[in-house]
Amino acid sequence: MSEIETYRAKARAWLESVAPKYSRAARGKLNLTVEEDLALGRQYMAEKFDAGFAGINWPTEIGGQGLSNMHKIAYDSEEMQFGMPNVYFGISLGMPIPILIHYGQDRAWVKERVIKALRGEEIWCQLFSEPSGGSDLAALRTKAEPDGNGWRMTGQKIWTSWAQYCDYGVIVVRTDPTVEKHKGLTYFWVDMRAEGVEVRPIKLAGGDSHVNEVFFDAVRLEDSQRMGEVGGGFGVALHTLMIERYIATDSAGFGPHLDLFVDTARDLAINGKPALKDGRIRSAIARNHAMRAGLDSITKRAFAMMQAGMQPGPEGSLQKLVAVRSRQKLSEMALDLQGNQAFDFDPHAYVKEDWGTSWLNAPTGRIAGGSDEVLLNTIAEKVLGLPQDHRPDKGVPFNAIPA
Amino acid sequence: MSILYDEGQQAIATESRRVLDARMAKDRLLKLLEQVGEHDATFWDTAVEQGWTALAVPEEHGGLGLGLVELGLVAQASGAATAGAPFLTPGYGVTHALVAAGNADLAAKYLPQIAAGEVRGAVAFAEGTDILPAAPATKFADGKLTGAKPAVPGAIKAELALVWASGANGPVLAIAELAGAERKPVSSFDNSRLYADLTFAGTPATVLAEGAAALDLAREVLARMAVVTAHEQVGGSEALLHIARDYAVMRKAFGQPIGAFQSVKHRIAEMYGLVEIARANCIHAAAVAGTDEFLVAAADARLTATEAYDTCARDCVQIHGGIGVTWEQGLHLHMRRARSLAIEQGNLLFWEDLLVEKLTGEAA
Repeated sequence: MSEIETYRAKARAWLESVAPKYSRAARGKLNLTVEEDLALGRQYMAEKFDAGFAGINWPTEIGGQGLSNMHKIAYDSEEMQFGMPNVYFGISLGMPIPILIHYGQDRAWVKERVIKALRGEEIWCQLFSEPSGGSDLAALRTKAEPDGNGWRMTGQKIWTSWAQYCDYGVIVVRTDPTVEKHKGLTYFWVDMRAEGVEVRPIKLAGGDSHVNEVFFDAVRLEDSQRMGEVGGGFGVALHTLMIERYIATDSAGFGPHLDLFVDTARDLAINGKPALKDGRIRSAIARNHAMRAGLDSITKRAFAMMQAGMQPGPEGSLQKLVAVRSRQKLSEMALDLQGNQAFDFDPHAYVKEDWGTSWLNAPTGRIAGGSDEVLLNTIAEKVLGLPQDHRPDKGVPFNAIPA
Repeated sequence: MSILYDEGQQAIATESRRVLDARMAKDRLLKLLEQVGEHDATFWDTAVEQGWTALAVPEEHGGLGLGLVELGLVAQASGAATAGAPFLTPGYGVTHALVAAGNADLAAKYLPQIAAGEVRGAVAFAEGTDILPAAPATKFADGKLTGAKPAVPGAIKAELALVWASGANGPVLAIAELAGAERKPVSSFDNSRLYADLTFAGTPATVLAEGAAALDLAREVLARMAVVTAHEQVGGSEALLHIARDYAVMRKAFGQPIGAFQSVKHRIAEMYGLVEIARANCIHAAAVAGTDEFLVAAADARLTATEAYDTCARDCVQIHGGIGVTWEQGLHLHMRRARSLAIEQGNLLFWEDLLVEKLTGEAA
């Protein structure tokens, strides 16, 4: 067995040992509120830290385990199968904390934050998107102006995941509106409990409220909270988005496995005949299986390449685009297939085990983390070398762009 | 087997592409479209010279002893070039059947000739609309075949055929020399595939497998050929992706390259997605040949590769506008090949049903 496979087996054994307390299956029966589930999640993170599975691919001097990216993917793909209460910490540990490790100025303070974040005691959010800048991040308007030896920040962020539970955040703001939009941005960390910070949860179409609007009213930032150069914020933000290249993927698009579709269809009839005999259903099963198998093979190949010390190809960027889109259609079909029985809907059902919530929440997946259209643009431009779209704001100072 | 190509396999991929780039000529292929019964001699001579006919033949029979991975890479290069002869895939089907059936005499007789390119194989399974009919009308009795097989790829020039027929105890897989059969060339939209209607009227044949074993072997042969074809489809799709990309960068309209319009660039990005998913399935399928996973993996590869080649052919022509539908520009070579390859080795309907049967246990 390879070192990675040994590690995977060790991870699995530990996950199985704590599953009775934390797994989706165990928690599902308890009808927990989000706050209760989060509290359990914090316990899980602390146990995971003590067991040595936290910060797997981070340096030991900062509180990590000093292992490879493959070790982390191996652990994550095992962990994903248990549905542990870790969703609240995904962004925190995925982007803000690695950036803090890279750019944070006071190293002792950084280490303290890293360990508290790994243990689930503190949570960090990422404050990027704004009402006027989502896909077009550099169009953001929240500003920070010099204030003595620090800064004063005013503006609004939106779609900030878990901000209502966060202790800290990382944020990109405009510090110079007189230069091109990409060049006038600066990156800071911010205390979410500071005076002038207000968080308002947004209820989403599916009924839950994990994203928020965050308002900043003349919030004071010390210059020591700055990460990277003044005017270098866009580069740090891009760095943030590049960090999580080594994540476990899901060819089911974070919706139900295809086996659930087969199970759903197996019990149903169309025109008095078994649904599994119906050509349309068979076609859907076959096409989805083939597509998902292709995505899984891309993942396996990327993993094998990394193990061999090679750089995986850009085809990994297809995962979310292809998988979530097809999850959406398959979920629609699974509901339609059930006829009137599909109307019986539980808004709290787990999206990976329920067609109703999978369908209703699928649009979020096609928009968050790069919309389908932005991903297609990225593939076209970065992978295939096609020209950029026409951009009228190019080369224009931010404050001269027509609103 | 590893899903990463080793150095030898990478060399086969690069070299086959290089040789075909140097030797294939669009004008020659366009002429072949209007000639029934002719294949591209340059391609076939190259295949023999480069040892592609010997790739998957065991070393003891004069071959190179390699397998589906290597042949797949050559097929990918051939697909990119819309190669002008169909023999590599059915030759491999016949080879695998001879090896798997364990008939030492027949293997010793034919395999060295196949490896040397002296004997070309055809695989005659289909009847009517079925690629692998449950009860074939072609009969085998007393060492002889009687019946007809429509539009068999390569059959205009092949010397040897693997035939799916009904015997006394269920289906049989038999091998027959085509000198003893009547062949009637079929005029097609892709004539270098050399389709011929075969008629057997007491053609001498030898049984390789019968009953359930024959069905298993026939499916295995078909799946292996489907994986070779899927590689060929990926090669064709990828070539079209690059042609579309290059044209979208070069061609200007409304004052900018057409590739700057999202309707065009997204179409090309979608092509990329289909190509990479099909390629990943092909690599996986070739790596699991001979295991229990193979039939499912072959179906996955076949379904995604067919979708990729069809979509790329359709959209590459569309992106070219008027020039894309001219004879001389030649994109129709890919359109035609996408269609012929979509049907040879079983169409999407067949592979969807086979895959779902394997996954759910429910037959169509």
